[in-house]
Amino acid sequence: MSFGFPWGLLALGALVPLVAAYFLRRRQKPVVVSALFLWRRPSPRAEAGPRFERFTREASLLLEALAVVAAALFLADVRWGDSARARHLVLVVDGSLSMSARGPDGVTVLEQVRREAAKRVASEAATRVTVLASGGAPRMLAGPEAEPSRALAALESFQALGADHDPMPTLIWAQELAGAERRVAFFTDVPPESEALVPASVRWTALGTARPNVALVSAQRRDEGSTATVTLRVAGFGDGLEDVEVRVRALPGPGAKEGTEKVERVRLPGEGTATLRLTFQGAGDVEVSLPDDALLEDGRVRLPPAPARPIAVALAAGLGRTEQAALERFLAVSPEVARGAGGSEAELLLGPPGTDARVTVGAGGKPRTFLGPFFSEKGHPLLDDVQLSGVRWTAGDNPPGKPLVSAGDAVLVSEEEGGRIHLNVDLARSNVQRVSAWPVLLSNVVRQARRAREGFPRRQLLLGEPLPVVTLSGARYTLVGPGTRRPVFGAGEVSLSPPSEPGTYVLERDGDAVDAAQVLALDARESDLRGRGSVDLPARETGTDDAPSDGAGRARWPLVLLLAALLADFYLTRREPANTGGR
Amino acid sequence: MDVAAVARLVPGLALALPRVPHRGLVGEVRATSAGSALELHDFRAYQPGDDLRQVDWNAVARTGELVLRIRQDEVAPRVEVVLDGSRSMALSPRKAACAREVALLTAEVAARQGLAPTLLVAGARPERVQGPACRAVLEAAGFDAHDGLPESLGRLPPLRPCGVRVVVSDFLFEADLPGLCARLARGASALFLAQVLDAEDLDPSGGEGARLVDSESGAALEELLTEDVLAAYARRFAEHQRALRGAALRARGALLVAPAEDSLVSLVTGPLRPLFVAAGAS
Repeated sequence: MSFGFPWGLLALGALVPLVAAYFLRRRQKPVVVSALFLWRRPSPRAEAGPRFERFTREASLLLEALAVVAAALFLADVRWGDSARARHLVLVVDGSLSMSARGPDGVTVLEQVRREAAKRVASEAATRVTVLASGGAPRMLAGPEAEPSRALAALESFQALGADHDPMPTLIWAQELAGAERRVAFFTDVPPESEALVPASVRWTALGTARPNVALVSAQRRDEGSTATVTLRVAGFGDGLEDVEVRVRALPGPGAKEGTEKVERVRLPGEGTATLRLTFQGAGDVEVSLPDDALLEDGRVRLPPAPARPIAVALAAGLGRTEQAALERFLAVSPEVARGAGGSEAELLLGPPGTDARVTVGAGGKPRTFLGPFFSEKGHPLLDDVQLSGVRWTAGDNPPGKPLVSAGDAVLVSEEEGGRIHLNVDLARSNVQRVSAWPVLLSNVVRQARRAREGFPRRQLLLGEPLPVVTLSGARYTLVGPGTRRPVFGAGEVSLSPPSEPGTYVLERDGDAVDAAQVLALDARESDLRGRGSVDLPARETGTDDAPSDGAGRARWPLVLLLAALLADFYLTRREPANTGGR
Repeated sequence: MDVAAVARLVPGLALALPRVPHRGLVGEVRATSAGSALELHDFRAYQPGDDLRQVDWNAVARTGELVLRIRQDEVAPRVEVVLDGSRSMALSPRKAACAREVALLTAEVAARQGLAPTLLVAGARPERVQGPACRAVLEAAGFDAHDGLPESLGRLPPLRPCGVRVVVSDFLFEADLPGLCARLARGASALFLAQVLDAEDLDPSGGEGARLVDSESGAALEELLTEDVLAAYARRFAEHQRALRGAALRARGALLVAPAEDSLVSLVTGPLRPLFVAAGAS
């Protein structure tokens, strides 16, 4: 015996008041009357005396208890014998954005999948259903082995908004969940690249339709002062798409009375993308929309203000005149850098050797000049694109820390454990500041400092992109997004797995919001609907329990038992009509 | 039972005897049988065996035929008091006391009138006593019969011909009422059915819900005492009373309904007035 819906057994709780009422009635103080026949026509059981009367009550109690048990069994979907064997079906639904594309009839692929899944559950007579959604990180929508109605309900509320991904990990997981029965049904919108790659126990059902589509493939916003610059890239996937009308609406920002709306007609190239850049003054959120087409989701984005966060750089006292001039010349042209006062407010402090500046510039001790060869720590981000050929580098005593650039036995650049960087260079005797390596090196320094800043280095990301985040040690961080809340482990630069859904993701430190980033529902691979199609590939391997079921739905016999018990109880406790009493 | 109240009432009361002849011991009341009283009752022709002392010789002289003077006996009529001993009579202490008081009053008044009262208690153990023992039997009488009066009568000694028969009961049982009344009236010159009813019999108070138990049979009935149920009871009770009264009339008896809640004095001056009259008025 098994139960399809064990919660139905809660109906057995009705036995408690039933039995309680029985005993309460038994304890009820009887009222003695002179002539019972005047109260009603004597029934056979009443004439039979109190012993039979008591028996009648107990029989009535038993019948009522039987009715309650029958009702509970019906609600719990009791199953006997063959019908009690659980038939497990694992459904895997493609969670990518293209599943939200509409067919020519206006019905989304996901909606078709819901219908097909319901049919499949019924045809397989599944008693247990597990629903998985494929994605960069597969997730379980219902189950494992949930009641079919609950599983289908979970599928109803599911929205496919994920990035392009490989479904194989999800299918492998589904096979493990299916166990020996091996019933895995995969619903997607694209036929497999090769049938041989489809796992043998998976039935691959594609319900997509190849359709043209125009999509935004990227959208960025940058705010400098009161000016917001929105950069859009638009692509057309399909034949006959020549141009598209892009509507950009800037909502009024703080202090602005009204927003701005711009409509631009963009010519679509045959291949590649068209770029559109617009600027707004005093704009709040910027809404971008394309005309409705097969996939609505990739034609709409909302870009909240993303003000630039210049990094505060300060020069410590004690720098040599040459060093200070070289640094100031770089800072003057470097973007997103703000000159600030020294002290704790500066995010990047540049100073002479011997100070606690994050970056020291200068050489102490006996100077030595090198023309090369220079040996660099390959792959270190500080040395990206730093070319030292033709450089004359005069260095002093070796600084502490791990050497990053060296010449001979001299350490030209070193990095300490805590991240402090020492540029062992005497700029008065060197030409480093006059070659391109100097601004590149300092840009890398600034970039390093920016990357070490708490929060999201990027405010707008596309679907499927890993989510970079910088955390400080000693604090507890949580990433809060649409329908998700997960802790962030690690300190410093952390790359989180791509979010499964678009939306706003907030980084919280000990419960307080630190920074927010937008994950846009844009993925060029998902917007390209030309390769979609429909196919139904049966599983190459049949399961161990694939015999068709002869019955579906709830067993009816508890209902029959319930009605029989109620009728018997009614017969037992029936009463003569009140107006047919005797004399 | 308030014996003192009964004793106070007895001196001023007399049983209302019927005008029809009685049967009983030799006494002062005309009997149905021919006797030797001085008062002439009838004349008839002589038949062999008649007492020649009763021949009206003047009539013989005038007519030449033997004509007899028919004179009635003068008897002291018996009074029988039958008390229903079923359990329903003890539905409440007041009902039991009232039944005892009515029976005792009848017996005492009859005794004071010289009518030789006989008390029959139709309980589980039937009893039949006469004269002064009536009071003691009434005081000790237990209403313990598990059946109604018709069944209890079967256990009693046969009812004898008498002058007045007073039956004290609540008459709340299912029975052939005309047959019962005819049976009670048989051999009696007058029949009084004193129906003692408790307040709950007359007007049930109801309640939220009840398990009704018959006081005699113990049969139970699950019933919610709603207004409708109480109204149905009142309707059936009225039908029962109407049938009982009709049956009593057909047996030339009288039904006297005595609410137990009323005092004995008010009963005597009220519902029981056909049975009791002021002393000297009979």
